[in-house]
Amino acid sequence: MAEDIPASAEPTTDRDERFAWLDRSLATLCLGSVIIVLVAGFVQVRFGTYDMSWGAAFSALTDEAIWFNRGTWEAFLLGERLPEGVSIESRIVWAQRVPRVVVAVFVGMNLAVSGAIFQAVTRNELASPFILGVSSGAGLMILLTLVVLSGFTLVIPLALTTVTLTTSALLPLFAALGGIVAFGLVYMIAWKNGTSPVRLVLAGVVVGMVFTSLQRALFFFAQDIAVVQQAIAWTTGSITGVQWEEVRIILPSTVVAMGIALLSARQLNVLLLGEKTASSLGMNVERTRFALSAVAVLAAAASIAVAGIVSFVGLVVPHVVRNLIGSDYKRLIIGCLFAGPALMVAADVGARLGPLALNGSMGQIPVGIVTGLVGGPYFLYLMRKKEAVGDI
Amino acid sequence: MTDEDTGASSTVTPASGDADATSESGDASANGDASVSTEAATSENITETVNASIVDADSLTDDPEGVPFTGDDLVIGYPGTEEPVIDDESVVAAPGEVTALVGPNGSGKSTLLKGLADQIEPDAGSVLLDGRDIGDFGSKALARRLGLLSQENVAPDGLTVEKLVTHGRYPHRGAFDGLTDDDRAAIDRAIDLAGVDHLRDRDLGSLSGGQKQLVWIAMVLAQETDVLLLDEPTTFLDMHHQLQVMGIVETLRDEAEMTIVVVLHDVEQAARFADYIIALDDGAVYDWGPPEDVLTEDLLADVFAVDATVDHDPLRVSPQRALDADE
Repeated sequence: MAEDIPASAEPTTDRDERFAWLDRSLATLCLGSVIIVLVAGFVQVRFGTYDMSWGAAFSALTDEAIWFNRGTWEAFLLGERLPEGVSIESRIVWAQRVPRVVVAVFVGMNLAVSGAIFQAVTRNELASPFILGVSSGAGLMILLTLVVLSGFTLVIPLALTTVTLTTSALLPLFAALGGIVAFGLVYMIAWKNGTSPVRLVLAGVVVGMVFTSLQRALFFFAQDIAVVQQAIAWTTGSITGVQWEEVRIILPSTVVAMGIALLSARQLNVLLLGEKTASSLGMNVERTRFALSAVAVLAAAASIAVAGIVSFVGLVVPHVVRNLIGSDYKRLIIGCLFAGPALMVAADVGARLGPLALNGSMGQIPVGIVTGLVGGPYFLYLMRKKEAVGDI
Repeated sequence: MTDEDTGASSTVTPASGDADATSESGDASANGDASVSTEAATSENITETVNASIVDADSLTDDPEGVPFTGDDLVIGYPGTEEPVIDDESVVAAPGEVTALVGPNGSGKSTLLKGLADQIEPDAGSVLLDGRDIGDFGSKALARRLGLLSQENVAPDGLTVEKLVTHGRYPHRGAFDGLTDDDRAAIDRAIDLAGVDHLRDRDLGSLSGGQKQLVWIAMVLAQETDVLLLDEPTTFLDMHHQLQVMGIVETLRDEAEMTIVVVLHDVEQAARFADYIIALDDGAVYDWGPPEDVLTEDLLADVFAVDATVDHDPLRVSPQRALDADE
């Protein structure tokens, strides 16, 4: 105890304090997650219809013609054409398989952090990114777009050219918007001289029920099985066939949302002390709660736009991380930034290669099915192991 | 060692010099512990750091007499109920003194305190801090002047004592600022004052009810406010911790000239520790004044419905039996 008092006066310990959050458990978690992402990612780029050896996959991954070529990065991040002179292996690995891993990383991050924020906002460990109606709103819009607007094209005349957007190009945008609109609706319903966690959750459940019913009803109007399968893939969450295009969609909002989440750690921590304490400490609770929810919805909407509604990641990851490193949100958010991608990338290996390994079929299942299959039982295990589950 | 340090802090005003000396004697024991394990030079250093922070504390209170805090013509109720709980009452918290709010269950003590603390917006009337309506303060600016400790507090699992006390600095920090030296000094001072230094790195969940309460008090103290509102801080605590809490309240009044309003369940405690008592009966102020004037046998019968004997000099309330409602 005695050493603590002069500690604050010495510059050397100042630095120690700044990095006090980075302790063994968090470092282990982050390192372990990175290893899982790298290993699962490597497996993911090695296997596929075009067969290549481990060595070939490795040399394609470390291909200098990709890494140190401005042209390739412009192709990936700005949508330019991939330059000539890239080997066929590198082309397949980098254009077809790597973006899927990158998208999985970003989706995992967004969902985990979004869930962590919603768990603080509602002060409930069982909250997920989709608790405030986001998934049902997105799901309804997905069905509306696929069933009602099928074959619809939006032509936007611009100065020099016209942009033609087909249903499939509009789907990600509409899905994300549907989620955001549903969140707004939930907030409006819950608002009566301010909100409370319980009222928000109840309003989310009600809006969710209505929207899910409408979504189910729309299934009956689907004309062919392909549309139904596409709708199911979107509403279960799938990153089959994603390209660098999807990376470009999710990257900007991920950077923004994750940045704000990291900087808001203290607000989240104070919110966990309860509304009364938070407001007596000078926090504008309603405004903070809404702003943080909006950030979480942005993160969830970004992941919906590229992957549809991937369940369980946003519920399970914050929970696991909290069990490992405690409930301090600075550490929790950082942990989620690493653990979310680990679960998502690993689950996607199962989604893409699982059917191949099981019965040799080349079919793929939506990754949301795998996250549910893995996450559900693990969550159950945690629940059985812990004495108290529910309030943070 | 104590002499040297008093010399070092000679720049402070004579009035606060007293406070220094008192705190110093408290610190002396901490120094004693420190010198067992560390070099003499280090313990010297400790005393200087602690001493410097005490000077800071005094300079923060610009008004040596304490800050006036009043509620004028307050009407306070809850949304959804017809009748307000508090109907057009005015209360004054004496600057730099301890004012106790007493009354039976349901008399509106906690409601009045919540209204004073800006937790419930009054339907009418105004609460003035240092002559300014608390509604005119920004929420963080108000939290730098006015602290509130609620009756029941929750904290997430795994939160350490020091982390919780650090949250007390919330109103002093910008949205994305780190901890400054001032913040750290305030945290150390608050932990010291609440006497929870030995619990600093403990998990809040592992503490007893009494220890938890002291830690929460430390958090409110880290806010470094001029006015402090405490909602039944001693209820549910054992005798040792009750006395410890009230001891802290006395120290705050004597040394920091804080204006303190405390809701007390226990009239005997109010008689002993408060400078002024506001007795509430059914949402109305029944009487206000120094304990010896307010706490009479009549008041105890009328307001609390107990038959009690009140001895003066020293003031002592001894409840005898409950009176029937119609007596």
